[in-house]
Amino acid sequence: MVFITAQEILETVSMIRSENLDVRAVTMGISLVDCAAGEPRRTAERIHAKIVRRAGRLVEVAAELQEKYGVPIVNRRVSVTPIAGVVGSDDPEAYLEVAHALDAAADEVGIDFLGGFSALVQKGFTRSDTALIEAIPDAIGSTNRVCSSVNVASTRAGINMDAVLRMADVLLAVSKRTAEHDSIGCAKIVIFCNAPEDNPFMAGAMHGSGEAECSINVAISGPGVVRNVVAANPDASFIELADLIKRTTFKITRVGELIAQEASQLLGAELGIIDLSLAPTPAVGDSIAEILESMGLEAVGAPGTTAALAMLNDAVKKGGTMATSSTGGLSGAFIPVSEDGAMARAAAEGNLSIEKLEAMTAVCSLGLDMIVVPGDTSRDALAGTIADVMAIGMINSKTTGARLIPAAGKQVGEWVTLGGLFGEGPVMKVSTAGNSAFVRRGGRIPAPLQSLTN
Amino acid sequence: MRTTVIVTALGPDSHGLLAQVATTIAEQNANVDDVSQTVANGMFTMIMFVSFDQGETTIAELKDALEVTGDRIGLQISVQHENIFKFMHRV
Repeated sequence: MVFITAQEILETVSMIRSENLDVRAVTMGISLVDCAAGEPRRTAERIHAKIVRRAGRLVEVAAELQEKYGVPIVNRRVSVTPIAGVVGSDDPEAYLEVAHALDAAADEVGIDFLGGFSALVQKGFTRSDTALIEAIPDAIGSTNRVCSSVNVASTRAGINMDAVLRMADVLLAVSKRTAEHDSIGCAKIVIFCNAPEDNPFMAGAMHGSGEAECSINVAISGPGVVRNVVAANPDASFIELADLIKRTTFKITRVGELIAQEASQLLGAELGIIDLSLAPTPAVGDSIAEILESMGLEAVGAPGTTAALAMLNDAVKKGGTMATSSTGGLSGAFIPVSEDGAMARAAAEGNLSIEKLEAMTAVCSLGLDMIVVPGDTSRDALAGTIADVMAIGMINSKTTGARLIPAAGKQVGEWVTLGGLFGEGPVMKVSTAGNSAFVRRGGRIPAPLQSLTN
Repeated sequence: MRTTVIVTALGPDSHGLLAQVATTIAEQNANVDDVSQTVANGMFTMIMFVSFDQGETTIAELKDALEVTGDRIGLQISVQHENIFKFMHRV
C-alpha cells in the first residue's frame, strides 16, 4: 500500500485550488490513412464518420476523469493524419470540403479544436501539398475548430524557402480573410521546423505517419505551481532552484501520466505521450513570464532572460522525465506572447522585442508564438522572420515554430484582443530593413552538417 | 468494487465542523475509514479517507452533497479519488 502523508494531500489540493494546476489538453490522435477513398466527397464522409466513431466519448471521458480526480482538464482535442497525405488530390476545393467535414466532426463530438489540416514540405511539394496550402485561407476562414500546420524545415532536409514564402502569403491571406476579428485566423496556423508527430498542443497538433491507429496524448500545465515555488524561495541558489523546479514538475507530470493512462484505457486507445511543456494562459498566476520574473528579473526581456528560461526549461524536462516513460510532443516551456499576460505586458512596455524572443526560442519551445505584428508587414519581412525561427530549429535539432498574426489595419503599439485562451497583446515591431533579395533566391537552404549523424 | 476518496476540508474554525461533514458522508452511505484534523491560528484543516461501494453513492453525488454542507458551514471541501495522491508524489 502506498503511504500518503497529510502534507502531500494538502499540497495537491493547494496546487489545484490556488495555483491553477490543470491538465491543459487531452488530445486524441486518430489515423485517417484508411479514409482515403479517391473521390473527395467520399473521403470527407469517411473522415467525418471515423472521427465521430473514435472520439465520440472523448469529452465524456475527460469530464469523468475531471470529476474523479478533481483536476480541471481544460481542453479536449483531436489530431489527425496530415490531410495532404490522405486526400491525394491536386484540387484545393477537395481540401476545403475535407476541412468542412473535419469542422463538422469536431463540432459533433464537442471538442474545441482539431489539428492536422497539415502538410510536410520541408524537402519539396507534392501536388497534394500545393493544393492543401492553397486551400488554407478558405479552410481557416470558413471553419471554427480546424487548425493548420505546415512543416517547412527540418534538420535532415534544410529549409524549404519556397514553402516559407508561400506560408507568408497564406498568413497575409488569412489576415485579410479574418480582418474583422483582428485576423484571429492566423492564430490557428503554425509553421514548423522539425514538427513532432505526437504534439497534443494546438494549433500544431497532428497525428504523424509513425503513430498508432488511435492514441491519447496529454499536455500538462502548471506554470502557477512552479511560479509559487520559485517565488517562495528568493534566496535559493541556482542549483537549489533547479532542484525545486524539478520536484514540482515531477508532481505535475505524474498527474498528466495518471490522466493519460486512464483516458487511454477508457477510450480503447494507445497511451501516446505526455508533453512536458509548461503552457501559460492569459490568467494572472498562470504565466511563464511570471516564473522568470520571480527568479529575479524585473520584467521578462531583461538581460538574463534567456539564461533564466534555459534553466527553467531544463529543470522542467529533468523533473518531468522522471515522472513518465512516455515523454513526447513539444516538451518545453512555451513563450506565446498574447497567451501569457505578463509576457504581453513586457512587450507593451518595451522590455521584450521580437529579437529577444528569437533568442529565447533557442533554449525552449516553441518559437515566435502568438506574436501580433502590423497588418501591413510585407510578405518578405514575414518570410524572413519565419526563416530565422526555422534556422534555429534546424541547426539545434529541435522543434521551432512560428505563429505570427499580421493584424489587419493595426500598427505597432496598438492593442489586439484575440479572446479566450488566445489572449491579447500589443502589435510588435518587425524590422523593415530590406531582405527581398535574400528570401526570394528560391529553393532550399541545404541541410546542415548536423543532419549527417549516421 | 469499493472506491476510496480523500475528502479535504479547509476554512475558519467553529463548533461541530467535523460532525457535520461526517453526517453528510454518512447520509451518502459512505464510510469514514480514517480522519485527521487540526486547528492552527483559527484555521480548521481536516483530511478524511472515505470509502463506499458502487451503487451506494458516486464521487459526483458525494461531492455535490459536501459542497452544499461546505457552503453552509464555511468550509472549502474537495473530494478526490485516492489515486491522484498516490500517483502524484512517487513513481
